[in-house]
Amino acid sequence: MAGLRANWFYLIVLAGLLMLPLFAESDAVAAVMPRGLTGSALLHVFVLIFFFAYMSQAWNIIGGFAGQLSIGHAAFFGIGAYVSTICYIHFGLTPWLGMIVAAAVTGLIGAGLGLVSFHYGLKGPFFALVTVAFAEITRLVLLHWEFVGAANGILLPFSPDPTFWEFQFTTKEPYYYIALAMMLGSIALVGWIARSRFGYYLHAIRQDEDAAEAVGVPTKRCKIQAIALSAALAGLGGTFYAQYTQYIVPDDMVVGRVSVEILLGAVIGGAGTVMGPIVGAFILIPVGEATRVIFEGGGTGTSLSALIASDMGFADKFLAYLDYLAAGGGGGLAIILYGFLLMAVVLGMPGGVLPWLAGLRARAARRTRARS
Amino acid sequence: MSDVYLQALISGLMIGGVYALVAVGLTLIFGVMDIINFAHGEFLMFGMYGAFFASVLFGIDPYLSAVLALPLFFAIGWTVQGVLIRPVVGKSHAIQILLTLGLSLLMQALAQFLFSADFQSLKLDYGSATFDLGGARVSYTRLAAFLIAMGLCAALWVFLQRTDTGRALRACAEEHEGALAVGIDLRRMYKIAFGLGIACVAIAGIAMTPFFYVAPVVGPKFTLVAFVIVVLGGLGNIPGAVAGALIVGVVESVGALVMPSPSLKDLGVYLLFILVLLFRPQGLFGAKGS
Amino acid sequence: MSLLEARSVTRRFGGLTAVNAVDFRVETGEIVGLIGPNGAGKTTFFNLISGFLRPDEGDVLFDGHSILGHKPSDICKRGMTRTFQIVKPFPEMTVTDNVLVGAFNHHGDTGAALAKARSVIELVGLGPQAGKLGRELTVAGRKRVELAKALATEPKLMLLDEVMAGLTPSEVGAMIEVLGRVRDAGVTMVIVEHVMQVIMNLSDRIYVLHHGEAIAEGPPREIVANPRVMEAYLGESFVAEAGAEPAT
Ligand SMILES: Nc1ncnc2c1ncn2[C@@H]1O[C@H](COP(=O)(O)OP(=O)(O)O)[C@@H](O)[C@H]1O
Ligand SMILES: [Mg+2]
Repeated sequence: MAGLRANWFYLIVLAGLLMLPLFAESDAVAAVMPRGLTGSALLHVFVLIFFFAYMSQAWNIIGGFAGQLSIGHAAFFGIGAYVSTICYIHFGLTPWLGMIVAAAVTGLIGAGLGLVSFHYGLKGPFFALVTVAFAEITRLVLLHWEFVGAANGILLPFSPDPTFWEFQFTTKEPYYYIALAMMLGSIALVGWIARSRFGYYLHAIRQDEDAAEAVGVPTKRCKIQAIALSAALAGLGGTFYAQYTQYIVPDDMVVGRVSVEILLGAVIGGAGTVMGPIVGAFILIPVGEATRVIFEGGGTGTSLSALIASDMGFADKFLAYLDYLAAGGGGGLAIILYGFLLMAVVLGMPGGVLPWLAGLRARAARRTRARS
Repeated sequence: MSDVYLQALISGLMIGGVYALVAVGLTLIFGVMDIINFAHGEFLMFGMYGAFFASVLFGIDPYLSAVLALPLFFAIGWTVQGVLIRPVVGKSHAIQILLTLGLSLLMQALAQFLFSADFQSLKLDYGSATFDLGGARVSYTRLAAFLIAMGLCAALWVFLQRTDTGRALRACAEEHEGALAVGIDLRRMYKIAFGLGIACVAIAGIAMTPFFYVAPVVGPKFTLVAFVIVVLGGLGNIPGAVAGALIVGVVESVGALVMPSPSLKDLGVYLLFILVLLFRPQGLFGAKGS
Repeated sequence: MSLLEARSVTRRFGGLTAVNAVDFRVETGEIVGLIGPNGAGKTTFFNLISGFLRPDEGDVLFDGHSILGHKPSDICKRGMTRTFQIVKPFPEMTVTDNVLVGAFNHHGDTGAALAKARSVIELVGLGPQAGKLGRELTVAGRKRVELAKALATEPKLMLLDEVMAGLTPSEVGAMIEVLGRVRDAGVTMVIVEHVMQVIMNLSDRIYVLHHGEAIAEGPPREIVANPRVMEAYLGESFVAEAGAEPAT
């Protein structure tokens, strides 16, 4: 019953999402959205939601289902973006195919990382640390490799009148539908995995590796397959990001913050569940964007360094500082919220929102059964 | 040995000393509580900001700040352990990692909100003074940081060996049930361990402010380097951490010489890290208990 | 050719020789008992032949092929499964899903595997608890899930490590009945058990381990009359008592 109701819920949301671009400019949307969040600005927020849901779903395969905490997925994401972009710039390969090359390259790198890590039996925190070190190495290499633009990154060639094959669009709608399709595709793929032998094997590995081995689960091979698939999907996401932002640079992409943001949706929504990453992204991104719109609107224009250096009295300085904070300070409020949410979920509902809701529902059902 | 290598060796040892204090804090927390603290570097960052603002706003010398920071950051660590970390002690490593990752994210963003993303650095009149050591230039502030860090590591070691509280902490690190059985208050030990660990890393940060920039993003690099060192030295092994830190400091500064670009110096450190994790996870000097 | 043959298998932990030059044979269709006081090396021996530990010396042959150095999952694929003395149900999975993971060993398709899992669940009498999570089960429930997971892999040979420990006498009776059904289904078994009544009734042949060495082998009647066996047990002031959960 509950499953059926959930399916209806998801179908209605899906229908709404498919039609949203048609109404993004309408007055009705303008009436319910906070200031200015209509038209392409609104579509942009949804592109972010879909994209993060997709990336988080990619992470979910190794981090959620297989329970191998990767804190380095920004590396696969970044490498994917670079691979397709270089294929495009140097070999004229359309990003649509570059995307596949990117997925193949990151999938292979993921498999290599998994092969090495799991062959030597790295578990838990040690695997996590290897992924961090791997991401850091990737960032350093990109940062110093002249061929890929080093610290300046790569500005994708702008085409004023782009064709479909260039994977560039002058409006937001195409990106919106591509991101939506990627998210839906990732749900379909992971949903299929969850019902297949592979999915059950990954869940078994996450819960008890020895017990899994004993009943015939080839744990090492499954983990390697999981990280390869997860990395390939993340690489694909990298291509989309490159085409959407038209600018890739190591210090924005291959950093710890991005790795954490990738896992955040899944962990908050419910790691190891099919819809967890999606629910997580639908919570996180709106919260984050709303925070940015509401609190980081103007800014006083004063920089903190100028404030410190000014010859005001201490009391005046302090008041000016309060003004500075009230105008959003140095930014970062959305990320503060993310960090807070991550801790709150870990402490309050360790499985994530969806399993927590399922638990509530089960308890309520038991109570009604007990009463009748 | 040519001058550049002597210079690299000395610089490496100096910064390695500071790393030692960072890593000792991390390994103490891990040893006693079995907690992997991914927010470690963020406490260093807050220590640095504290010293920076104390200096530019009130003219307090960073070395005085370092002294004041000991009780302050001990109290902060004590509180953070009591409020945030305690609920996840004994839970899965994944839960602990996610919690401390969340804390790290929050602290970085909080620093950005409060202090802006700008890089700040202190300009002290003694900041650039150096002296000559057999052909190598050594800056006084780096030497001071090295001596402060080594002194604190030694003090911590003596504290752990000679005092009742220290012995109780070591008993916790050896075995939790055993410690409980002989009547040690585990919760209090955890708070002390976390308080001490945080005080160590914050003071390490403060000792660097005379010559190192401050920004909300300085933390993660130190967290990772501390993990490298702790794994190298053997988890929970304090002398191992000091030795590991000096090795990492030297690998880094020699790496800056041999790599095509000095800012690639960390590459060697991370490669060393992965190799140690794969081939000698108990560390070069043995983990706790082994 | 024996189904399982261990040749002079040895394993040391530091200075301690937990399993010392043990020769061990199981023929198809047999139920072999493996007994010995706590710490005798029974669990370690299971770990050695099921691939969880590598012997320092000796060889293990299953179906005529050496399985030395093979992973447990690979050995399971070939037809040998073990249960754990400290039971390991997947805590966040239902009983059905727990057993399903085992059933996937020979069925790639979820539907076929599910059918297999359901039939095993019926066989071991877990039907009423099929929807419960692994962590919600009682000791008896966990022991049955442990057995059901192993059975679902469709083994030729099953190694059972104290599946009766911690059960009440009536639960022991029910479990004996289940094992009888498993035997009738044609599964060869090696059972480690402290409950003598179980071992004596079920086993065709018994091996006795003591301080890592196989000190006796033979049919149950011979084993009870063997003075070395009596000595080994009495020396450890062993009491054959149903329901005593050993420490190791
Ligand atoms: N992983 C291990 N490391 C060190 N010693 C072990 C290990 N596993 C078992 N032992 C030791 O080997 C001996 C045999 O243990 P075990 O096989 O569990 O005995 P049994 O199952 O017969 O009670 C015991 O002394 C035990 O302490
Ligand atoms: Mg045993």
